[in-house]
Amino acid sequence: MNDNVHSLIGAYAVDAVTPDERTDFESHLAACEDCTAELAGLREAAATLAAAESVAPPAALRARVLDQIGRTAQLPPPTGDDAPVAPRADVAPASSRRERHAWPRLAVAAAVAAVLAVGGLAGSALLGQRGQTGEDQLALEKDVMMVTSAPDAHAMDLGLGSAHLVMSDKMGSVVAMGEDCPEPTAGMEYQLWVVMEDGSKHAGPTFAPDSDGTFMTLMDMDMDGVAAFAVTQEPMGGSEQPTTDVVAEVGL
Amino acid sequence: MSAERRLGAVPGGDPDGHPETRRDADPLGELLVRTGRGDQAAFEQVYDALAGPVHGLALRIVRDPQLAEDVAQEALVEVWRVAARFRPEQGSARSFVLTIAHRRAVDRVRSEQSHADRLLTHGPRQATTTTEQADHPEQVVDAIDAQWRAARVRKGLAALTPLQREALELTYYKGYTNRQLAESLGIPLGTAKARIRDAMIRLRDTWEGTR
Repeated sequence: MNDNVHSLIGAYAVDAVTPDERTDFESHLAACEDCTAELAGLREAAATLAAAESVAPPAALRARVLDQIGRTAQLPPPTGDDAPVAPRADVAPASSRRERHAWPRLAVAAAVAAVLAVGGLAGSALLGQRGQTGEDQLALEKDVMMVTSAPDAHAMDLGLGSAHLVMSDKMGSVVAMGEDCPEPTAGMEYQLWVVMEDGSKHAGPTFAPDSDGTFMTLMDMDMDGVAAFAVTQEPMGGSEQPTTDVVAEVGL
Repeated sequence: MSAERRLGAVPGGDPDGHPETRRDADPLGELLVRTGRGDQAAFEQVYDALAGPVHGLALRIVRDPQLAEDVAQEALVEVWRVAARFRPEQGSARSFVLTIAHRRAVDRVRSEQSHADRLLTHGPRQATTTTEQADHPEQVVDAIDAQWRAARVRKGLAALTPLQREALELTYYKGYTNRQLAESLGIPLGTAKARIRDAMIRLRDTWEGTR
């Protein structure tokens, strides 16, 4: 079972979730300050999209709404720490079925550092990756830490700078991270591919190294039938299928 | 590098760069807080400020004008009902209200999915009519504001990759779930989730500082 509920944050922000996923994510959200902060930013962006759609409603709507609120009881304010984070009052707050720890940041840094040491990347400055906001970066770090600290996590050399691939079947995730990664060609970024046993390739996330060559990316996936991971350079935004030669590959 | 240095290199968890999440003076926020305490006059002001976006969003998503009106009414009454749950420190009033409206609209589309054509065909884009009734100076200002917002959204969408735009078109505007997105595009579920998230992050970052 994929426990990486955090990866639903974008889908949740645009309501691209099923009721079950919504419940799962909200129970996670209640315990995760980083998600709460990231979600606020994504929701503001969604609201900006919505605000551009403004179409004045018929005047009669105002009278109907005002009439109806006169007959509609209001929910009481939430008390103390049981405040729901989302404006979602018509569904009872979810029980914390699969709650994860809200990891203190120091623990995250320490754990990632420990993993890097294990992976032979001690002393790297991965956490300093720029170009992303603090929330994204922290969220990513936390997910990366969940994967790299999984009991079944194992690291493999990726052959892209000093990059490693860390995968965990249990977490259903694979992480690629490293440093000294060469700049991709202008206008291109790297993309991770999942190579199946039958030779088919599935598109993974795109990534680009920081100015000092560090990068970190993560994807959720089912490890069944996976033969290898590959990296190519693709136009910004990624491709559905590789369009250039493989620059790095690691077989399982 | 020490753990402290590393830690210092991580941008802080405070919502720096998200002016609307930390803005103290969100006049709508104050009105929504008062709405939560049962102040109907405050609700009327919230209505006047946001009924247009709520209705326009519903129209964009459900397409049928009568359905859109129903969705807008449900959403606005819902705002009244749950206003006490609004927490100004967690986001703007606009975001709170439009989140409710979007969810209502998407839920309605999904419950009507037997009308599968709604999911398959793009109707003509509804023109914003905010500019049509510019009888008063404040409406002129509203119209200019609406044009500015529309231009800003175009700029944001232009910053997305075609794949990201497609992902938002299918999810945000058409109500696909992340799984439906993955299946309709033939991509892994993790890729679909990541694409939506990346798109929203890019929008947010593009709009940062231009509010």
